[in-house]
Amino acid sequence: MRTLITGIAASAFLCLALPAFAADPPVKLAVKPLLCVVDKGASSCLMSFDIRWKATQTGEYCLNDSAKPEPVRCWAPAINGAVLQEREVREEFIYWLGAPGGADHLSEVKVSVLRVDSADRRRERRTRHVWDVL
Amino acid sequence: MRSPLKNTLKALGFWAFASMALADAAAPPAPAAPAEHHWRLGVALGYGERTNPLVQSEKIPVLVDLDIAWFGKRFFFDNGDLGFSVLDRPAFTLNAVARVNTDRAFFSKTNTKYINFQYLGAGVTVTPPPTTPTPEPQPFKPPKRDYAIEFGFETLFDGEWGAATLRGFRDVSGTHDGFEVGADYDYRYTRGRFSIAPSVGVEYKSRKLNDYYWGVHAGEASTNIIEYHVDGGFGWHAGLRTNYYVTKHLRAALSVNYERLQNSVAESPLVKDDYVLGFFSGFAWTF
Repeated sequence: MRTLITGIAASAFLCLALPAFAADPPVKLAVKPLLCVVDKGASSCLMSFDIRWKATQTGEYCLNDSAKPEPVRCWAPAINGAVLQEREVREEFIYWLGAPGGADHLSEVKVSVLRVDSADRRRERRTRHVWDVL
Repeated sequence: MRSPLKNTLKALGFWAFASMALADAAAPPAPAAPAEHHWRLGVALGYGERTNPLVQSEKIPVLVDLDIAWFGKRFFFDNGDLGFSVLDRPAFTLNAVARVNTDRAFFSKTNTKYINFQYLGAGVTVTPPPTTPTPEPQPFKPPKRDYAIEFGFETLFDGEWGAATLRGFRDVSGTHDGFEVGADYDYRYTRGRFSIAPSVGVEYKSRKLNDYYWGVHAGEASTNIIEYHVDGGFGWHAGLRTNYYVTKHLRAALSVNYERLQNSVAESPLVKDDYVLGFFSGFAWTF
């Protein structure tokens, strides 16, 4: 009986503790904004990204852009960093943080592109709902 | 074949022919765009209302709005409309469309009320003089109307100047035997994550269409309500749709729309308001 109670208590502890560990990654990357909205007559957005990261341990980290071969910026041993980047966005890409020359994504953030127009005119026709909002 | 039907079909045929002729003079094709999914699915949740101009009726609440559409190479289904692309040119797209008339929607939310006055034509209501005995209240419920299946053509145009639609539809279900032609224009302005799209439109509805839905037919006239026939005429509408894109799939949506009924419809004893006003505010998710 004691073993069963100990087992249940241990399971409960693990269930409660694991999300706490999972919620605290070794490196956290935050990027603003995350969405480029493209409408008729435009093929890209010129965006100014505010990029910040914070690690639990001091180390060498590089910020990468999945659409470019070279890192955006690398930091000498540091525990956090920030950079502003102006960039033209035409398609979805990922900002990711990793070790210099490494391929492992310690943390990543996706920047999305939403096209609100369509090459197919039928998709732009006004539907005849009782109330058309979409 | 009756002559109004023949004439309408001729007009629709001429429209299709004119669109085909225009196709030859169209500009060269635009560059290819990325492929899109066949399906477009979305849901909006929030709160909205649409007023109901019908007497003894309730406002139409809008809490959920579904967007279900499928687009093939030629055929498409767009929230109840079945279509076929006859021509798709850089300058315009011509579609043949079968749809359900929307005037019927107003006749779904009606009540029976006991009334002790007479409805007269031209929107005038008269109570009996105080010296006459008060008549017994009589039950009155707005008459029933059926859905009509309509078939017609629409031509879609767009450019830097905005988007426009010309359309013409005729009843093919033998419900009202009338027709409707109309034109719409809207312009969407997008800045960052915010977009705003004002729109205006005008439509002409035939006497038969208007009279079927909004007239008081001979068999429906009583001591409560007199026979009334509605003419064909022009109505117009204007609207404003705004969106704030929170993510690629989620957006906050706010819309308002005002529709002015044709005079002859507005004067029907079945009609209490000469307009339809709607609004919706909520969040929309596109899958």
